[in-house]
Amino acid sequence: MFSPEGALDKNMKVLVVDDFSTMRRIIKNLLRDLGFTNISEADDGNTALPMLKDGNFDFVVTDWNMPGMQGIDLLKAIRADSNLSHIPVLMVTAEAKKEQIIMAAQAGVNGYIVKPFTAATLNTKLDKIFERLG
Amino acid sequence: MSTKTNVHISLEQAKLLVEYIESDQQTKANELIAEIQSPINSELFEEIGKLTRQLHDSLNNFQIDERLNDLATADIPDAKERLNFVISHTEEAANKTMDAVEAIFPVVDGIQKQISTVNPLWQKLMHNDLDVVEFKALCQDIDVLLKTTEKESSKIHRLMTDVLMAQDFQDLTGQVIRKVIDLVREVEESLIYMLTAFGMSSEKNKSDQLPKVGENLVEGPIINSENRQDVVSGQDDVDDLLSSLGF
Repeated sequence: MFSPEGALDKNMKVLVVDDFSTMRRIIKNLLRDLGFTNISEADDGNTALPMLKDGNFDFVVTDWNMPGMQGIDLLKAIRADSNLSHIPVLMVTAEAKKEQIIMAAQAGVNGYIVKPFTAATLNTKLDKIFERLG
Repeated sequence: MSTKTNVHISLEQAKLLVEYIESDQQTKANELIAEIQSPINSELFEEIGKLTRQLHDSLNNFQIDERLNDLATADIPDAKERLNFVISHTEEAANKTMDAVEAIFPVVDGIQKQISTVNPLWQKLMHNDLDVVEFKALCQDIDVLLKTTEKESSKIHRLMTDVLMAQDFQDLTGQVIRKVIDLVREVEESLIYMLTAFGMSSEKNKSDQLPKVGENLVEGPIINSENRQDVVSGQDDVDDLLSSLGF
């Protein structure tokens, strides 16, 4: 569904990080609809990081504004850890300041979606991320 | 005041002062000095007096204003509770809706599956290209399809009613939020009154300051993006910005 060759592994391990369980549920449903089945959840960066460290995750979808460790700091931590730095990170957030988007880009985000978003946007961004990664 | 520091005393006053000091009448001497300086002091004292009265009145008014006390001790904690009610009710509504939707997905998928089972033979029938054996099979498939669709559509109908009923939060949370807005307005008025009473102009600081941002510039959802230059107004803006950065 994401690449013409259908090369994308839908069994890849995805971690959805958001402090609101309803948003995690929405994203999980959308991802499931796109064929992803192996999805875990975390409610902030502090919960996510240890999961990533011993979880063999292939992809992270994270919110920005969360109590505890924020999404941008989680992104920085992922990029700073040589075992995790290869994991693509998609940010799905209500944070809409240009300065923040630039901050995220400089920190090495792979995609940035502003809330409220649509299923089509999520689909397009996923496509793009994995197309680029080849 | 600098001009008044050069006030000269008259010879008469000077003599009197010396006389007071020599006769050890310190109090009188002090009074005389105060009198000599009085053009400065009377203004100053008058002004201090005025300010003191104002301050006194203001403080008294605050003590009288029990409403302010009520706001702090009762209304604001109550508002916090109300807002928590909004969070829990919207969350509950979102979950109820998603429960129903998640239950509908497999039902619809099942019907879709059966339709695609029926479809090839149906197409053959439509093109007069169906033998008797296939026709029997088609009848079987259609029979199954009709029965499941009938059963499942009433299930979908019930779940859709659940989705409908889950939206009743809007009425309740709307009323609650409206009350909180009234409270915020009242607190705002009290604060403005306080500023005015202490002689600070609320207008002076009313410049279009941005709301305070947290760590990492976190601000949450932007509700007035059309009035802001520093924020994106949607996904297209994000994409444009990122592509301008070489993304």
